[in-house]
Amino acid sequence: MGHDKIVTSTAWSPGPGCHGGCGVKLFVQDDKVVRVEGDEQHPFSNGRACPRLLAMTQYMYHPDRITYPLKRVGERGTGKFERITWDEALDAIEEKLGRIRDEHGPEAVLFCQGTGRDIGGPISFLAYSYGSPNWVQLGLGGHSCYTPRLGAMMATQGDYAVLDAAQFSELRYDDPEYELPKVIVIWGQNPMPGCPDGFFGHWIVDCMKRGSKLIVIDPRWTWFASRAEQFLQIRPGTDGALALGLIHVIIKEHLYDKAFVEAWTEGFDELKARAAEYTPERVAEITWLPQDAIIAAARLYAGAKPAAIHWGVPIDMNPEGSTVAQAISHLWCLTGNLDVPGGNIIARPSHGVTTYPFSTQEMHELYGEEFVKRLNEKRIGANEYAMVRNFRGWAQPDLTVQQMLSGEPYPIKACWIQTSNILGGQAVDVRLHHEALKKMEFVVVADLFHNPTSMAVADIILPVASFAEKESFRSWWAPLQVIAPAVQVGECRSDWEINLELAKRFNPELKKRYETVKDLINDRMKVAGTSYDELKQAGGWVMPERGSASRPYRRYEKGLLRPDGKPGFRTPSGKVEFYSRSYAEWGLDPLPYFSEPPASEVRTPEQYEKYPLIMVTGRRSSVYFHSEHRMIPWLRECDPDPIVEIHPSVAKPLGIENGEWVCIENDQGRIKRKAVVTPIVHPKVVSVPHGWWLPEQAGQEPKLFGIWDVNCNVLTPTGTQSKSGYGGGAYKTTLVKVAKLREGRDRNG
Amino acid sequence: MAKYGFVIDVEKCTGCHSCFLACKDEFIGNDYLPTAAAQPDKGHTWIKLNEVEHGAGTKLKVDYIPHMCQHCEDTPCAAPAPAGAVYRRADGIVIIDPEKAKGCKSIVNACPYRAVYWNEAAQLPQKCTMCAHMLDNGEKTTRCAEACPTGALVFGDLADETSPAAKLLAQKGAKAEVFKPELGVAATTRYISLPKPFIAGEVLLADKPGECLKGAKVTLTAKDEAACQVETKTDFFGDFEFKNLAVNKNYVVKAEYEGYYAKEMTVRTYASLNIGALMLEPR
Repeated sequence: MGHDKIVTSTAWSPGPGCHGGCGVKLFVQDDKVVRVEGDEQHPFSNGRACPRLLAMTQYMYHPDRITYPLKRVGERGTGKFERITWDEALDAIEEKLGRIRDEHGPEAVLFCQGTGRDIGGPISFLAYSYGSPNWVQLGLGGHSCYTPRLGAMMATQGDYAVLDAAQFSELRYDDPEYELPKVIVIWGQNPMPGCPDGFFGHWIVDCMKRGSKLIVIDPRWTWFASRAEQFLQIRPGTDGALALGLIHVIIKEHLYDKAFVEAWTEGFDELKARAAEYTPERVAEITWLPQDAIIAAARLYAGAKPAAIHWGVPIDMNPEGSTVAQAISHLWCLTGNLDVPGGNIIARPSHGVTTYPFSTQEMHELYGEEFVKRLNEKRIGANEYAMVRNFRGWAQPDLTVQQMLSGEPYPIKACWIQTSNILGGQAVDVRLHHEALKKMEFVVVADLFHNPTSMAVADIILPVASFAEKESFRSWWAPLQVIAPAVQVGECRSDWEINLELAKRFNPELKKRYETVKDLINDRMKVAGTSYDELKQAGGWVMPERGSASRPYRRYEKGLLRPDGKPGFRTPSGKVEFYSRSYAEWGLDPLPYFSEPPASEVRTPEQYEKYPLIMVTGRRSSVYFHSEHRMIPWLRECDPDPIVEIHPSVAKPLGIENGEWVCIENDQGRIKRKAVVTPIVHPKVVSVPHGWWLPEQAGQEPKLFGIWDVNCNVLTPTGTQSKSGYGGGAYKTTLVKVAKLREGRDRNG
Repeated sequence: MAKYGFVIDVEKCTGCHSCFLACKDEFIGNDYLPTAAAQPDKGHTWIKLNEVEHGAGTKLKVDYIPHMCQHCEDTPCAAPAPAGAVYRRADGIVIIDPEKAKGCKSIVNACPYRAVYWNEAAQLPQKCTMCAHMLDNGEKTTRCAEACPTGALVFGDLADETSPAAKLLAQKGAKAEVFKPELGVAATTRYISLPKPFIAGEVLLADKPGECLKGAKVTLTAKDEAACQVETKTDFFGDFEFKNLAVNKNYVVKAEYEGYYAKEMTVRTYASLNIGALMLEPR
């Protein structure tokens, strides 16, 4: 195919939609991207791409893409919008949000984002420049996405850790310092389709090819489960009990790393006493797993060195997600697999550069400790939950929606919603969120396509650039890399560009610091001793230097982790804390424990009798990222329908045939899905993929692209958050029943 | 002369659909005459992925089989076609001529692999061309093989021993086979590790039923063929598995452990089987 030039860049967010990191080649002809391929020279993805990248041209030049600013001209929900200029849009936003700030204070505006993309940086920057403490993943029950895991790791070991696939080395698997994990535990994730949390799913396949053995923990058979030494088909929401059961066996059978535990940890005896309560017999009963399988898994994991755990968002979605994450992180600490080659290695943003603040420390560095403290006075959830107050800067989503409705303790007047389809995506109890959003005086949506949220509530819509159209940067986790624009589409602007312009209007001080987005990027890259242009010239990426704080291994021995430069960890005690001092200070149980899901056969047997199936939502598709891409024809062809996976033993007595539309319901509502009868789900579980809305249907109220018919979160409740405020969204534990569609209403409705 | 072909390692296919997308990207809206006319926007899967689930209960396997034109030597698709409308090139690529095959819908039904698609607007039967236009232009591979992130889909000149496909065939050729050999049309695409029936189960001791029994001897004998016998030991979890078995054959599974009575079970591989636990009684 002909092309004028090839632009190498980094994929992150609009486009593939994902958490990004892949090196890509954008083929450009006549100022149009005509093809996208993986960049063989890039150490993150080594030339590999995914269906969503391969469909980039359909995404960027889709006829439905919003390419200029819009303002609403009819009633909300009627879908009537009119083209306006950028100046008109920004002036209107400045005027409206400025007036709300004057009358109600900056906290009356919510700044809402979705998942971990190149949005956390720009949106927090805008929120804080405006003065609002309420940066929130609105709708995300229990704030159950990575933050609970991050908080648990920060409390236990003072840093975050990830499976070591040599991703911090330009030599990758050939790095002489690197060792392959002998055993990999994939806990609650199908890493290939989603590539979440800055982790490229193919790295696990790379390790398998080189000889790593797998233990897979999931309620559903995946490709990885089929290739595992051991597959533990667990009851959803009981991962905490399993982790404690594994700890029990590892301690009882002396399989832990005594030297590491002795030298670098505290609280072992307390953990031992707690784990003693979780005998394999008891854990087997809780988790549906055979006792012998639990014991064998503990022996296989702890008996291999190095071994590593790779986990997914279901951990956060467990009841008491932050304590479940704590228990699992204890496993790699107990076995001495922390920050060793082939273990779970400490991950810090490359070169200490912050794009998207992942920790309180980074927030302090960017905005100052005093400012962050001041935000806490009004931040929703900061007073109710000490962990929310002391870890990162989020408003607690379940409390936020309540406050939108009640106006207590202070009113919420407006939402800035940036690349987040709340009603078609993450929001639990969609009806409640719909009602709350409709109460807002003013809503801005910045996005690439119309979606149920923009249709229902947007007053102004700003067109956002895809990654192929923007200048940005990325340091999650390595390498440090630039995102370089290849083309311009319509009048679309990048999230950074939009937010910097508005931030300057709300905080004129910023005008002195940053004229352009590049100034801001260069400012943030200063700690790395480089700049946007310099890095772009040098190939677009750089790995952290050996011996630096953001490059493994065994940094705790070398004094690279603590601010005082002493060996040890960045925890209050300087050690790995099995008994967490931070949790104790926050009024939480300092030790991990198991808590039964809010609705279950054990906790609510009457409800279980009525609704005997556990709905797990969120199985990933390689052609979609959450609620995106349903309008991209090539992708939709691969995964065309909103489905429900049902075990044959459940479908048969109900008379449900493969391919038939069925209804899924509980006391909160009912939805329709196409049945896939398959043995890959547990007989007591139905798998209901999330993020479904139907762009081909009417967008106007009341249809909103079919969300009331197909969005699984019509059925999931709000208010199930953990005691810590982080974790506990019931995305994997909601009870439902499945039935054939009734003639009449169901078929016509 | 080059001899082009696909070699597909099914074990490595994760079902990501990148091949499908790359094929669309290459052919939708693009004519590559004389080997291909543009693929229509929707409905064609010149390469598709068959998801296969086999086994039961705690022994299940999920596999994906990439499925496209097998570029058969017998070219059964040529039978109903007008002269010259379907031809097999010297390099092994089967081409449906976009001019001469116009209107000939019976070519679609003549393909036993169901790999030919009908383009209603163009009145044309269409299928995988092995990206002949790229190869004719000096390139070495197809778009789909290039996009495959795991190395499951490998393409190359089989006559050139340095090509990736020839290398893979040299390495694993003993295991290579054709997809649905019963169709008997001399398909040229080679598959490695196509899913085959397995027999899996576990061995337990009647007096210690909660324990994983590692190291119990399990033998599998093909009935009527005593010579065809394989032996394994139960693994870490007390499980055993015999892979790659023949379809619809009777087998005897025998479990033995010192100090216990042996146990036998006869099973037929009409599909992959999870035979559950063989419980051994103490002597």
